Amino acid sequence: MKFPHVNRRTHLYLGLFLTPWILMYGLSSIPFSHADFFERRDKALGLPLWTKTFDGPFDLGPIPETGPLRPLGGRVVRDFKMEDSSYGAFRQGPNQLNIYVHTFWKSTQFKYFIEEKRLVAEDRRFRWEHFLTGMHARGGFEDQRFFPILWAVLIDLVCLAFLAWIASGIYMWWSLPGLRNWGWIAILGGLGSFALFLARL
Amino acid sequence: MSLLLRRIHLYLALFLAPWILMYTVSTFVMNHRSLFHGPPPNPPPKFEVERELLYPGEMPEGATPQQVALQLLATLDLDGAHSVARPFAPDKVVVNRQHPIAPRRITYTAPDKKVVIEKMVFSGAGFFERMHRRRGFQHDYALDDSWAVTVDLTIFALLLLPLSGIWMWWELRVTRLLGALSLAAGFALFGILLAVL
Repeated sequence: MKFPHVNRRTHLYLGLFLTPWILMYGLSSIPFSHADFFERRDKALGLPLWTKTFDGPFDLGPIPETGPLRPLGGRVVRDFKMEDSSYGAFRQGPNQLNIYVHTFWKSTQFKYFIEEKRLVAEDRRFRWEHFLTGMHARGGFEDQRFFPILWAVLIDLVCLAFLAWIASGIYMWWSLPGLRNWGWIAILGGLGSFALFLARL
Repeated sequence: MSLLLRRIHLYLALFLAPWILMYTVSTFVMNHRSLFHGPPPNPPPKFEVERELLYPGEMPEGATPQQVALQLLATLDLDGAHSVARPFAPDKVVVNRQHPIAPRRITYTAPDKKVVIEKMVFSGAGFFERMHRRRGFQHDYALDDSWAVTVDLTIFALLLLPLSGIWMWWELRVTRLLGALSLAAGFALFGILLAVL
């Protein structure tokens, strides 16, 4: 089996295997690129985005000024039996800690008011654009469970695949001398426009 | 039809190669944030003072922070996509001027007309993340709209490239079995992850 053959087959089969991810990144980029349109459309419905599900006393103990907040978020997630979800903890202000708990299908935010030792939990109404953007933004190796790690590994595979598609695509284009002129125009047009944006944007 | 699809698949990908490369590298950076930024929480980006000056003109009476920002940027020859930060003092306006390589923070203090221009210290990871998140239609600048059009073109390509790839695969009878297995395996794994994550 010769290199051009392996190159073409790798380009093809990798593309077919990763089709759902590429389509997902394509579709989910639309609400990011046209966020105002989707916000206006949702606002017109007049529905509340968040629904309060808990508001009461809760003691997380001393909150460190610096350092990782994830262990504190983990305590809330465990107490509310949401261990199957991904989460992150962030300091919203000097007196507030926010914990965001997320699956592809459901999002909950916890607001912990440090001085009052009070916790508020709110569920976010399901919206298709949030479902898509949530998938798009999901990544990283902080969550050490098996499936989140697998998702992060697949993101790396998608990255690797894009590099492979560019390299193998350029190789295939170069193997077709009849297409070189238009190919050069496309490559140089792309590089030139991108450089212009880098300089002027 | 087949030939047209092949040509569009090829030339669109060649034209958009810089965008695809940028989104690829930036996705890798964001997927390995601890590697590039250290353990969370990430520190805010660093700025260094580029220059300080006294504002040479006059701001209109009762100007809003947005009006001050526009006049300031025009005078400093820095007009372009920006945001006005939430004021932390009533007599101060802080403008964040976006830029792929060198974003700037401009602080204007009304009583003494002092202007401080700070430039963000360059970091490769920060650059790629900024480019990844940069959109355009929300700003009133033609260049930003043009960038947003290229982002939409990349989105179009992300949808067209796999679909045209499926078309081309189906035309190659010899690859149908392995191709179908690859496609089915991909959708099955994606479906599982959709259910459990």
